[in-house]
Amino acid sequence: MHETDLHDLSDDADYAASIEQASASVMLTRSESGNRSLSSETEGAELIYSKDNVAIHPTQFASERISGRLKLAKQGHSVFMTWIPYKGQSSNARLSEKDRNLYTLRAVPFSDVRSIRRHTPTLGWQYIIIVMSSGLAFPPLYFYNGGVKEFFTTLKQHVLIVRSLEDANVFLVNDFQNPLQRTLSSLEMPGAVSIGSAPSTPASGSHLTAFTDGGKTSEVLSQSISRNRQKAHDPGRDLSIHVLEKFSLVTKFARDTTTQLFRENSNGFSALETKSYGISRPRPDAPYQEEPEKKVPEEIHVPSDPLEFDKLALVWGKPRQSPLGSMEWATFLDSEGRITDSKDLRKRIFYGGVEHAIRKEVWAFLLGYHDYDSTYAEREYLKSSKRTEYMTIKQQWQSISPEQAKRFTKFRERKGLIDKDVVRTDRSLPFYDGDSNPNVKTLRDILLTYSFYNFDLGYCQGMSDLLSPILYVTEDESESFWCFVELMERLGPNFNRDQSGMHAQLFALSKLVELLDPPLHNYFQQNDCLNYFFCFRWILIQFKREFEYEQTMSLWEVLWTHHLSEHLHLYLCVAILKRYRGKIMGEHMDFDTLLKFINELSGHIELDPFLRDAEALCIYAGENGAASIPPGTPPSLPIENENSLLYSLEDEVL
Amino acid sequence: MPSRRRTLLKVIILGDSGVGKTSLMNQYVNKKFSNQYKATIGADFLTKEVQFEDRLFTLQIWDTAGQERFQSLGVAFYRGADCCVLVYDVNSMKSFDNLNNWREEFLIQASPSDPENFPFVVLGNKIDVDGGNSRVVSEKKARAWCASKGNIPYFETSAKEGINVEEAFQVIAKDALKSGEEEEIYLPDTIDVGSSSQPRSSGCEC
Repeated sequence: MHETDLHDLSDDADYAASIEQASASVMLTRSESGNRSLSSETEGAELIYSKDNVAIHPTQFASERISGRLKLAKQGHSVFMTWIPYKGQSSNARLSEKDRNLYTLRAVPFSDVRSIRRHTPTLGWQYIIIVMSSGLAFPPLYFYNGGVKEFFTTLKQHVLIVRSLEDANVFLVNDFQNPLQRTLSSLEMPGAVSIGSAPSTPASGSHLTAFTDGGKTSEVLSQSISRNRQKAHDPGRDLSIHVLEKFSLVTKFARDTTTQLFRENSNGFSALETKSYGISRPRPDAPYQEEPEKKVPEEIHVPSDPLEFDKLALVWGKPRQSPLGSMEWATFLDSEGRITDSKDLRKRIFYGGVEHAIRKEVWAFLLGYHDYDSTYAEREYLKSSKRTEYMTIKQQWQSISPEQAKRFTKFRERKGLIDKDVVRTDRSLPFYDGDSNPNVKTLRDILLTYSFYNFDLGYCQGMSDLLSPILYVTEDESESFWCFVELMERLGPNFNRDQSGMHAQLFALSKLVELLDPPLHNYFQQNDCLNYFFCFRWILIQFKREFEYEQTMSLWEVLWTHHLSEHLHLYLCVAILKRYRGKIMGEHMDFDTLLKFINELSGHIELDPFLRDAEALCIYAGENGAASIPPGTPPSLPIENENSLLYSLEDEVL
Repeated sequence: MPSRRRTLLKVIILGDSGVGKTSLMNQYVNKKFSNQYKATIGADFLTKEVQFEDRLFTLQIWDTAGQERFQSLGVAFYRGADCCVLVYDVNSMKSFDNLNNWREEFLIQASPSDPENFPFVVLGNKIDVDGGNSRVVSEKKARAWCASKGNIPYFETSAKEGINVEEAFQVIAKDALKSGEEEEIYLPDTIDVGSSSQPRSSGCEC
């Protein structure tokens, strides 16, 4: 065990477990600045600053925070920063010890810090964001008892920090002589790449919970890291991509604040940004195309984004992971096939999706067709009994004779509508292409059967888009039907005759934009765009027409995890709108132009960066975001069900 | 500066799902037909420059979802229309029977200033199918209905083969232009509103 008085927490139960993690982190970080050992570094260090009630918000809920103590310590000429969470004082039981360890900062030397941004809003808590020279940023540290000013006052006495000329709230630490060169070189260093897998990023952290049984966290951690490395085809590359992503965001962040320093090299940066941001720009022949590198002069025409969007994604949005593969999937199942920790599974899928080979199996859980705690045997039994049930319902319309159909207008109309739609659903896909393709007929049979299963809802355009990937994945008529039934349990109200579901969606969206981007909301208000009909297709068919087929499947499984929020799709809408806010407002788009612009984004947006933005927005919006969404807005289960659930719970209590 | 009214003509295409609204629009604007069109979700439009005498106009053609369930969205899209195109499939009696519903729904939702004289054009599409053998709505019947609704111009078209599409849209554009000009005289206020292409958001930027 490492001995260090600096942490002053030798009596802390989680200390032993987390010290391994911490030392790994620090040593990796330190590899940039030398090979001095941790113990020699921290022995006899002088405590120069200590602040209680400095907290991190790991989730979107303001009530969920991890409080701890922030310290500055000095040894020789080096100053270190430490933030250790208090033992057992998480505000919420849902935050595990590991969650807390994840965010622990242990002896971070200021020689590795590039800048510190402070936020001292008039309303709300003050916080600081530490940006490392490797390009990583730590989550905001909230000063619940104030004291950001004292922090900087103390720091200035021991470390050379310079206030940015561009932004009075940014303080540059060390290396401000040539940050570009240093950052680029650190990118190529193994140390910088390793930081990508260090405990301060969720890439490895989110795996930790898969190994809770042993209780030996330190071993688990090292396993987790090595496991991570084995899993990916080229882990070094993947990690460096993560770092690169961070880097580009930090670059934007830094450029906003240190324009002067970066000016000479800004061309090189903008190319990198464009690439790593992953937005494919509209086709050259699209009517709204600008010259690719010409940026909308936001400063002049467009009210700035009050959220500092780029920084938000930098701080909150976690890097995407590689999809869940079959080997890892197997670790989530016990010997009888139960999923022991469904929350952990959903979280894992949230950050990376699943590999296609196991989609058939995994989707049935995500959609709710199979219970997480069902066994292999139970699932087989369910499959076979559901197959019989499906055939029974299918028989209902199959037995309608042509004579009977003549007197059954509603049936004929539905069948006609479905027949017309299945032949124009994803026909460019090999799975559905060609004349008399059996899969097209299966698509039709399922939809027609569904319109009998749920005769009140019937068939509505858009349903074929939602069913198509499900049939493609399961390749089984009955399975597809029941998975579709589960999906429609949640999305059905979007297809209501009175359009109540869609109106709730669009209303919620307008509330979220109002919350997360007031200037954009004002713009929509002034330009008669508040009905948000331009987002209608996005929501009704869950971005099915906006992304490539594979990406759509990836997005859906992420949405279906309901990790963070049931309504991530709305935050995704906000993320896309925010990304183009400069263009929308800068070009003074009216409703028509905006609708056209949105429609033409189809096929030109890349999923992952926007998912990350959506995650960041969702976390940032927190409870205020959740409160903007009317109860019962799909995919929430209908309110009636929640009430009946409530009653049954009450009954149990009584 | 020319007013928006005089340069932009807005046309709405309505009709049952699958009668060929998207195909007609694409055939007219892009001279293309595809079997791969997807069912329209929400709404979209295409624009085409047209010339009358020595004046240039932008024809903005709106294509909307055909299922009845989405009609309540129409109010956002029908506004300010200069002409409405009603499409049916000559091989589907129901799509013809529904023309009346589409017409009435449009008049309610768009609430044009002079509903009696608002220009409609009716297109009987898909005349190419099965060499005309599967046809169930006769031209005579269609023309009779058009006559009863104030002599609505009628065309039989094939979006697939490009038959009569150009001719129909010539009339559509002409009627839209006439309607737009009449509206200018009828409601001079709209010219002022429409012509203010100046950014109006300047007031809120401070």
